Amino acid sequence: MNICIADMPSYTYAVKGEKLLKARGFPCEVKRKSSSGGGGCGFTLVIRGSCREALKVLDRYSVPYTLQGGGG
Amino acid sequence: MPVNFDNAATTFPKPESVIMAARRAAERLGGNAGRGGHELAMRSSAAVYSAREYIADFFGAQPENTVFTLNCTHALNMAVQGVMRNGGHLIISSLEHNSASRPAFALAREKRITLSVAEIYPDAERTVESFRRLIRPDTKAIECTLASNVTGQLLPWREIAELCRERGICFIADGAQACGTFDIDIGEGIDILCTAGHKGLYGLSGTGLLISSGKFPIAPIIQGGTGTASQSLEQPLLLPEALESGTLNIPGIMSLRAGCEFVKRIGTDAIFRHEDGICRRFIAEIRDIPGIKVYRSEKTDYAPIVSFTAENIPPEELAEALSAAGYCLRAGFHCAALAHSSLGTKNGTVRFSPSVFSRPQDAVSLAGTVKQIVKNKNK
Repeated sequence: MNICIADMPSYTYAVKGEKLLKARGFPCEVKRKSSSGGGGCGFTLVIRGSCREALKVLDRYSVPYTLQGGGG
Repeated sequence: MPVNFDNAATTFPKPESVIMAARRAAERLGGNAGRGGHELAMRSSAAVYSAREYIADFFGAQPENTVFTLNCTHALNMAVQGVMRNGGHLIISSLEHNSASRPAFALAREKRITLSVAEIYPDAERTVESFRRLIRPDTKAIECTLASNVTGQLLPWREIAELCRERGICFIADGAQACGTFDIDIGEGIDILCTAGHKGLYGLSGTGLLISSGKFPIAPIIQGGTGTASQSLEQPLLLPEALESGTLNIPGIMSLRAGCEFVKRIGTDAIFRHEDGICRRFIAEIRDIPGIKVYRSEKTDYAPIVSFTAENIPPEELAEALSAAGYCLRAGFHCAALAHSSLGTKNGTVRFSPSVFSRPQDAVSLAGTVKQIVKNKNK
């Protein structure tokens, strides 16, 4: 299964993104960003499955993110 | 227990559900929301997000544009200073609370902005015209209360919002005396809604809200820890965290959510009808007392607040006598210098403001006490 990790600008946007994706059947979860991620502490959205489609949902709802790794 | 008719300052008593929500938060939400990934922190973060989402929906807003503040003053300061950061022309109304007028006058005194004050009239059209003729090409924002905290006068805010929308002006609304008594939806043209959490929304003191439409950037006036991008020395600019530096008041936020749920359960129409009925009953009881003046006009509508004075009795003296008889009412200038100047009440007024828990029979008894105090004074 594909996994992609999106750095989220805040916990608020991370949970908003998680809710939007889960409501559309994309498995995902909010995780605390690892210290090796750069930029300091924050939150990530770990998305499993079709990342390209999932990211399109985030884009459609103007949820900002920075893709860290993985792919669709 | 004294009878509280000073609910415009802060509502008391609070609903049991509000007290329980704060207590549960103090007992169970021990982690710092948005800070850390351990179980306690994540539990608090989830609870805060859930409250943010519920409250955003209550006002027709998005969760990320719903900012928790300490009170309405905090929210208004952030709004006006954040929007006017690069200067421009600001218009405020003549009924503003000091929480709006003091920051505005301070910015003008420091020559960071230019400021105009729009006179408010009982007639709505005249009021809207008062704002319209002050608008200039460099007008950046109109800051206006939805309901006066002194008289309860409702301003024609939807028309003022339309003026702003037509001209791309930011409409900052002070909802402290309107939220919880009226349905306020920011989709009706409010760009930034500032309100208290501890008044008509029945949360605990130390709670407030700034809710943005997201159309106008608000530069933070307080910077610090947000739990995100910690290695950067620049304040994040995305709401809500940009305006929420420092640890949140989690028990307060949980109480505010419970307060909004309480208001929603009863309904703002029912709350208004109850409180307005008590105000009308009180006015009917005191109107014919010799020397009593009630500051209401037939030409306008009011939130459930009644300001009155008694001839020959200074407001503070009258409120003191009422307090001795077990009634809590606020006298003086109600932190609203502009409003009293506009009303011409040079000694201020006495303000009566019920809540959903107030009883009509207490308002009748209070009126009887006012009558007795006036009678004794004029012997």
